[in-house]
Formats: sequence, C-alpha cells, structure tokens
Amino acid sequence: MSNSFNFNRFWLLVKRQWLEFGKIYLISLLVITGAVIAFYFYALPEPDLHTTNLSSVYQHNNDGYVNLNFRLPLFLTLGFMFISIIASGYFSLLGQKSKAIIELMTPASTLEKWLCGVFYTSILSVFSFLLIFYLTDMLFVNYLQKIVGQISYTITSDMRSAPETVVLSVKPFFIDFFDRQEMQSLVLFPFVITSVFLLGSAYFSRFHYIKTAVVVMLFCTALIYTMIKVAGWLTFNKVQDSANFGFRSHSGEMLGYVLIGTALITLFFWTVTFFRVKEKEV
Amino acid sequence: MEFRDNKAIYLQIGDYVCEHILLGKWKDEEKIPSVRELAVSLEVNPNTVMRTYELLQNKNILSNKRGIGFFIAEDAIKQIKLYRKVQFMDQELPVFFRNLYLLDIGFEELETKYEKFVKETFTNP
Amino acid sequence: MITINNLNFGYSKHNLLFKDMSMQLSAGHIYGLLGKNGAGKSSLLKNIAGLVYAQSGSLKVMGFDPAKREPELLADICFIPEEFYLPSIKIDAYIKANAPFYTKFDYAYLNVLLEEFNIPISNKLVNMSYGQKKKFIIAFGLATQAKLVIMDEPTNGLDIPSKAQFRKVMASALTDDRCIVISTHQVRDLDNLIDTVIMLDESTISLKASIEEITQKLTFKKMKELDETVIYAEPALSGYNVVVPNFHQEDSKMDIELLFNAVIAEKKKLKPIFN
Repeated sequence: MSNSFNFNRFWLLVKRQWLEFGKIYLISLLVITGAVIAFYFYALPEPDLHTTNLSSVYQHNNDGYVNLNFRLPLFLTLGFMFISIIASGYFSLLGQKSKAIIELMTPASTLEKWLCGVFYTSILSVFSFLLIFYLTDMLFVNYLQKIVGQISYTITSDMRSAPETVVLSVKPFFIDFFDRQEMQSLVLFPFVITSVFLLGSAYFSRFHYIKTAVVVMLFCTALIYTMIKVAGWLTFNKVQDSANFGFRSHSGEMLGYVLIGTALITLFFWTVTFFRVKEKEV
Repeated sequence: MEFRDNKAIYLQIGDYVCEHILLGKWKDEEKIPSVRELAVSLEVNPNTVMRTYELLQNKNILSNKRGIGFFIAEDAIKQIKLYRKVQFMDQELPVFFRNLYLLDIGFEELETKYEKFVKETFTNP
Repeated sequence: MITINNLNFGYSKHNLLFKDMSMQLSAGHIYGLLGKNGAGKSSLLKNIAGLVYAQSGSLKVMGFDPAKREPELLADICFIPEEFYLPSIKIDAYIKANAPFYTKFDYAYLNVLLEEFNIPISNKLVNMSYGQKKKFIIAFGLATQAKLVIMDEPTNGLDIPSKAQFRKVMASALTDDRCIVISTHQVRDLDNLIDTVIMLDESTISLKASIEEITQKLTFKKMKELDETVIYAEPALSGYNVVVPNFHQEDSKMDIELLFNAVIAEKKKLKPIFN
C-alpha cells in the first residue's frame, strides 16, 4: 500500500468523517433548505388585484419574465453563509488537543486527510447547496408558471414594427444567473471562499469563523485601497479622462483572467492548508 | 495473590509455584500454567514469571520441554524441599535464632513446643 | 523498536525540555516512564508518536520517522492519551468506522477485551463514564495489534477493579514483538507490570534500567539505624526505608517510589552505579 495515497484508505476516511462531520453538515443543510424555502414564500410576488391592466398583475420585465430579483441576493448570501460555515468547521478539531490526537493518529496520510477535507468542504457542500437551491427554485418556478402562463399582453414600441403578443413566464434562477455576463466569471468563487475558510479552520485554534472573516476583510480592504492608490498614481495625468477612450477589455478575455485568477487563489489556499495540517503539532 | 513488601517479586512467585506443587494443586509431571497465563492471573510482567520459571528450572523443580512449555520435574518435591531448606537456613533461621537469644528461650522448651505443634497440626486424630 | 539519538526538543527554542537525549527501546518489554510533573513524559511520548516535532536529533520508530506520519507506521502505533475524545456514536459504529484502517485488527480479541472490561458493545460512547471510555480505547488500541503501545497515565480514572483488569490485560498484551511504554504517576498501580524503568529528570534520562539490573545493583530494605553505605533513606514506621548498594547479592523487592525519590535526590551517587 502506498504511504501517500490509497483510495481504499481515503474512502474509509470519508466514511469515518461522515459519522461526525455528517451530523453538523446535515443539520446545516436542513437549516439552509428551510431558509431558502421560507424566503421564497415570503418574497414570491403577489398578484396585484387592484390593477385593471392584466399584464400588470405581476411585475415583469420587457421580455415578459416575472420579476424575481430577490433570488440573486438570497442565493449569494445564503450560499456564502453555508459553504463558509461548513468549511470553517472542518479542521477546527485540530485546535482541540484531545480531538487532534485521535485525528492525527488515524492511519491515513496527510494527503488523504487533506483531500477528505477538500471533498467535504468544497465539493459536497458547494454542490449540495446548488442542488438544494436548484430544486427549491424549480418547485416555485413551476408553481408560478402555472399561474402566470395564462396571462398574455400586447406590447408596442418604437423598436418593433408590429405589436407583439407576449405570454408572461418565469425564468429558472440558474438560467437567469448565467445570462449575466459578470456572473459567469464567478463560477470558481465558491472554491475561493471554501478554501480560505478551510485554511482558517486549520490555522486558528479557536473562533475560526470570526478570525478568518476579519483577516479576509482586512486583507481585501488593504488590497483594494492599495490598488486604487497605485492605479491612481500610475495613471494620474497620463490617461485621457474619457469614458470611451483607452483600453477596453473584451469580455471573453476578462472572463479568462478571472477564472485563472480564482483558480490560482484557491489552489494557493489549499496548498497552504495542506502544509498547515502536515505541520500541525499537538 | 498478595505480594509482600520485602522479597523480590520473582522469588515470591517462585514460592507460590512451589506451594502449589507441594500442596498437590499442580500434579507431578503435569504441564503447569504457561508464562503468560500465570502472569495474567498474578497481574505481573510475563518477563518476571519467565525469570521465576528459569530459576526453578535451574533448581530442577521445573523442566522445560521446548515448544510445549514448562512441566513439573520428576522429583520436584524433593528439590523444592532442598531449595526451601536452603532458603530457610539462610534467611529465616538467623532471625529465629536472634529471637531465641534475645528472649532467653532454651532448647528444651523449644523441643516440647515443637513436638506438641507437630502432633496437633500434622497428625490426624 | 525505538531509537533516539541526540534529541533536542522544546516548545520554545530557548527553553529545551530534552537536551541531547539518546535511548533505545526494544520489543518484548513494558517500559515505565517516570518523572516529576513537567519533566516531559507526555512530550517524550508525543515525540515518539510523531505528534510533535523535535528541534534536532534523530528519532526512529520501527525504521520510520514518526514526524512524517506515514499510515504504515500509524497503523502500528497504539497511542492512549491522557485526555481523549470519542465521538457520540455507538461502540459498534465506532469500531466499524475505525477498525478497517488497521489491517491486522483482531475483532475476536476486541470482544474478549470488552468482556474482560465489562463494556457492552451496544453502549453509546458519549453515555459512558471517563473510566469506561478509557477502558474502551485501551481495548480498541490493543485489538489493532499495533507493535508499539504508548500509554499516558492509563490508570488515571480507573476504579479499583478496573485497575486489576487493566493489569491482567497488559500482562497478556505483552508479546515478544511488542513494545509497551507507559507513563505514570500511579507507580503502585503498575510496579509489578513494568520490567524496565525510564526516569526523566532535568531534561535528560536520569535512569534507564531493568528491574533485574536495579535489584542487582541496589538493595531496598528497612534499617533501624543509618550507616555510611546508605544512598538514600526515608523515615518509616520502625526505622528507615533505605536504598543501599547491593554488596551481598541480596534479592530485594524494588520499591519504585523510593527509587524515584532516590534518583531525584541522589543523582550523583547513583550515576556511577549504573554506568
């Protein structure tokens, strides 16, 4: 058997972690599911019964899609909370002497223990949240679709040659989400979050969540501040101050940079976590 | 088994084994408890029991059949008496004599006491 | 089994707990690790288990460097810490989840041990008392068939019958290919169980000798009056308990507490006797 990685041993580790970590994980998942459903109930658009205009019963945009703008902030906030809480709990046991001894003495390699952490915090938690959100959304979208599907209205505008009849409909969240160019570049962002909180859980011995959050905030503030200052200093009086002049990124190019950047940051945090676990003393 | 304070444990275990043989609890030429078994029942280190068994083997009280274990030697009882006699003469008698001397106990008095003791303890009515 | 060479270890660089420590431990023995509070008993055990890293020097356990935490070595070490944590699951679930890591795990032996310790397998770990839990991890650890067994204060928290059970279990656990290291303050619990004494004092090993060697070189006895041969003495009921050099090949019973105090107090007198 290899001393650094053996799939059988890794799988045993995953099963063993599930006994303990699984409970916290399932409870968190249940809470988050409840929260998602509650928010949908609360924020679902109510038909405006006072209006006489049929098309105004539900607020919608020009393409006939019902406005469900609450979904994006809900998705981002709850998603961030769930994956960061799960990640910041994972290696917290290393901070407690009695738990850490059992963990470190388990006959599996550091690589396997670390991979198990990555699996639980970055794969299982992220994808289970996506699944929960997707299912809840689908449920409500289907429900709403049945109601609004019968409502149609005619629009006329200068852009159109002839008046058009549009049927109101509901767009599933993830389709809506990826329609936004700026969101596409964030697909790897969950992993940045989980990797940094996983590192925090291995690095601090107490109050992992708060400490990680504060450090990340301070770091980001400092980074943004420096970038603004440096950019200002570099470009001051050198660039013509005009909105339509100068360098303009092609969106595709930008997307690539962001993806590579987030991937690298994630890998960096994961690597540091690995060494942190490897060097951990009790 | 209660261990006393002043005598080395492996010797006390030796006494224990000899006692069992003398009292017939372990029969002649029978296999006796293995080192491990005796160590477990006395709650001592097996190496200590091993030391006892080796000592008793040297005194021809036990015999070691390789791969099988320890057995009671043929004339174990005779050997035990010999071994205990030496021990008694060396260790207990000096203390006894000292007391005789200190307490002015004469040999005649001792003799009557001894005969009475043997009669009461070892002869069945 | 364990080879330590010139080990330097401390929680901070300026304050070393062990200086230039060297020692060899071999299979087939139960070593009793003694030392005052803070002498570093637990730290030495943690070094051997690879839970902490030394500043310099070499430490090899069955040919492995424990600091690398390789699974092959970890599967051959049974480490029973003084403070431990068990998840709130049932015993059989714990066994099912943890035993497969140990390829030599002996399920039948575990059942024998649990029976000896009176622990029902259907118990929930979280509902058991400290002593029960301790007996459970000892049973589990021994059933892994690990060649190196390290125990930090194993009799702490055990009641009187449990201590006797523990001694029986440990007497049967010692095999020729197994090395058992036990650190303890409760020397009376274990004094017939250990065969070699290791004493830690002043950042080094002040004594490492088998009980046979110790009683060959020293005699432990009671004396009415002290004389110049006495190495160390403590007042007792009728006179003194003393440690004297063994001039007449006397076979005395080692008094482990008396020895401990003698080593602490009379290092200089004892050193030439054991070198």
